Amino acid sequence: MINVSNLSKKIGDVNALNGLSFSAENGKITGLLGPNGAGKTTCLRTVFGLLKADSGFAEIDGIDVAKQPMQAKQNLGLFPDPCGLYERLTPREYISFFAQLSGLSASQAKEATTQVIDKLSMNDIADRRCQGFSQGQRMKTALAQAVVHNPTNVILDEPTRGLDVMSTRILRELLLLLKAQGHCVLFSSHVMQEVAALCDHVVIMANGQVIAQGSIAQLCEQAGKDTLEEAFIALIGSDEGIAA
Amino acid sequence: MINILKVLFKKEVMDASRDKRSVMAGLYYAIGAPIGICLLMSVLLQQFASPDALKITIENPSNAPGLVAHLASSDIKIADDKNDPLLKPITLSISDDYKQNLSEGRPATVTLIADKSDDKLAKHINRVEKAMAVYSSEIASLRLVSRGIDPNLMRALAIEVNDQATPDSKGGMILGLATFTIILTLFYAAMSLAIDTSAGERERNSLSLLLSHPLSSLHIVLAKVGAITAFSMLGLVIILIVSKVVYPMVAWEQLGFSITITPEFMLFCIAICFPIALMSSSLQVFVSFMAKSFKEAQSYVTMVLFIPMALSMITTYDIATDVVQWLPIAAQQFALMEFIKGNPIPVPQLLLSTLITLVLCALFSFLSARMLKSEKVVFGL
Repeated sequence: MINVSNLSKKIGDVNALNGLSFSAENGKITGLLGPNGAGKTTCLRTVFGLLKADSGFAEIDGIDVAKQPMQAKQNLGLFPDPCGLYERLTPREYISFFAQLSGLSASQAKEATTQVIDKLSMNDIADRRCQGFSQGQRMKTALAQAVVHNPTNVILDEPTRGLDVMSTRILRELLLLLKAQGHCVLFSSHVMQEVAALCDHVVIMANGQVIAQGSIAQLCEQAGKDTLEEAFIALIGSDEGIAA
Repeated sequence: MINILKVLFKKEVMDASRDKRSVMAGLYYAIGAPIGICLLMSVLLQQFASPDALKITIENPSNAPGLVAHLASSDIKIADDKNDPLLKPITLSISDDYKQNLSEGRPATVTLIADKSDDKLAKHINRVEKAMAVYSSEIASLRLVSRGIDPNLMRALAIEVNDQATPDSKGGMILGLATFTIILTLFYAAMSLAIDTSAGERERNSLSLLLSHPLSSLHIVLAKVGAITAFSMLGLVIILIVSKVVYPMVAWEQLGFSITITPEFMLFCIAICFPIALMSSSLQVFVSFMAKSFKEAQSYVTMVLFIPMALSMITTYDIATDVVQWLPIAAQQFALMEFIKGNPIPVPQLLLSTLITLVLCALFSFLSARMLKSEKVVFGL
C-alpha cells in the first residue's frame, strides 16, 4: 500500500507538488492522471525516495520513505520514465542484476528472471543487448525489471508511452495479473483509454494538487459527464496536454 | 553489503568491458606511450652517434693553416659553396697579424661571428669553440716544451673522477620519462570509462533507477571506483609488458646507461601503483559527478589530471622540493626511479604518500556518495 500525505515540493521557482494527498491500496490499480507538467513524475520520484519533499510524507506499507528509505524500498518495484536501460547488457543480465539488488540471491535471481522473461514473452530478445531495442522491447525489459522480485508495490511512470497494440495488451494483462495477486499498482498516465480500461481508482491531479479522486463511475458522476475524458476536462477546467 | 558490492562491481566491469571504444581509447595510451618514447630516443641517438659534418665560413684561412687543419680533423670545414646545406652562419675571422703574433708567442686573434641567441645554432657554435680551445691548449703546451718547461706546471690540480654510477643509474632523465608514462597510465587508461560510468550513467537515466533501489549511494560509488581501478591496473600491466619488450630495443649504451624492466620492478610497480589507481578512479568519479553533463565532465577531468601530471613532472625533472617528495604520486614515482636504479627506496616518504593516497581515495568516494544523495546532482539540475 502506498500512502501520500500532504506532499509539497518546489523545484526552482515552480511549486511542482502543492499539498498532494492520496492512497493506492493493495489489490487495486490506481491511476495518477494529469496533463503534462501536472507533477506526476515529481510525485512518483518523491514516493521512491529520489526527491525529498519540502513538507508532507510518502509511505510504502506504512514505512516513511524519507526516514527509512532502505526498508521502504524493499517491497517496491519501479518502472521509471525514461526506462534507464543499460544498452550494453542483455535483458536477462539487466533483470537479474536488479533482482539481486532487490535482495534475491544469484540463483533466485536467475530463476525469477527466467520466469518473468517467459511471462512477458520476451525469450526472443532476452539474450540480445538492449542497444537498438524498439520502444516495446524497452518497455518489456523495464517492466520485467520492476516485477522480477515480486514486490508488493509496483510503481509505473508513463508505461504506455509509445507502445503498439500488442505491447499495450501485454502490459494490461500483466497489470491485471498483479492486481489479481493482491499487489498495489500505481501508475501515472495521460492516456485516457489506458486509465479507463485498467484503473479501479483514479487520482486526477493538476498543478501539483489532487483535483478529484475515486472510481471512474464516481468521477463521471461528480463531473456530470458520460466518459472519463469529458469528466477529466470538466474537472481540471482545460483540455491541455491530453493525448488520444 | 559485500554481496551487493560484488553484484554492482560485476555489472560495472561487464558494462565497461563491452564499451570497446572506451576501453581501447585508454589502452592505446598504454601500448603507444613506451613505443613512442623508444622511437623518439632511437632517432635522437642516431643523431648523437654520427654528428653531421659542419661547414663554416673562414676569412683569411691562409693565415692559419694549422688551425684550419685542426678544425678539419674535427669535421669542421670551410664551405666551398655558399648554397651548401651544411653551411651554418658561423664565421671565423683570422686577423691579419695572426701569423706574426703566433710566431712571436703572443695571443693571436680569431673572431667568431655568430648569433648566439639562435638555439639551433648553439650546439654548432659550442663545437667550434671547443675545437679552437683544444688547438689553443695544444699550441700553448708546445710553446712551454720548446722553452724547456713542463706543461704540467699549468695543471695545479690533477682531477680524477671515480664515477660510481652503474649503467642502470645513469639514465636519470630517461628513467624519469619512463616512470612518468607508467604513472600517467593509471589516470588515462580508464578516463573514458570513469566518465561513462558516472556522468554517462546519469545521462542515460539508469543512475536514478539504481538509486531508487534499496542500496546506499556509497555502495554504488565503491563499485564504480573498483571497476575503474581494475581497468587502470590492466593499463598498468600492459604498459609494463610493452615497456619490457621495447626499452631494450633502444641502443642506450651509446649514452652510457641501460634501462632494464625486471619482473621484480614490475611487481614493485604494481604494488605501489595500486593505491594511486584507487585514488585516480575516485577522483575521476567525483569530478564527473560534479559536472552536469558528459561533455562538461570530459573537460573537467582533463583539467584535473594536470595536478598528478605536474606532480609527476616535478619528479621527472628532479626539481622537487623536500615537501613535494612526501606527496602522493611524486613520492611513488621517486621510489620507482630509485628501485630501477638499484638505490635504496625512500621508505618513509613512500609509506606516508601511500597513506595520503588512500585517505584521498576514501575522501573522494565519500564525497561522491554524498553528492548522489542530492537531487540536484542526480538529475543534473
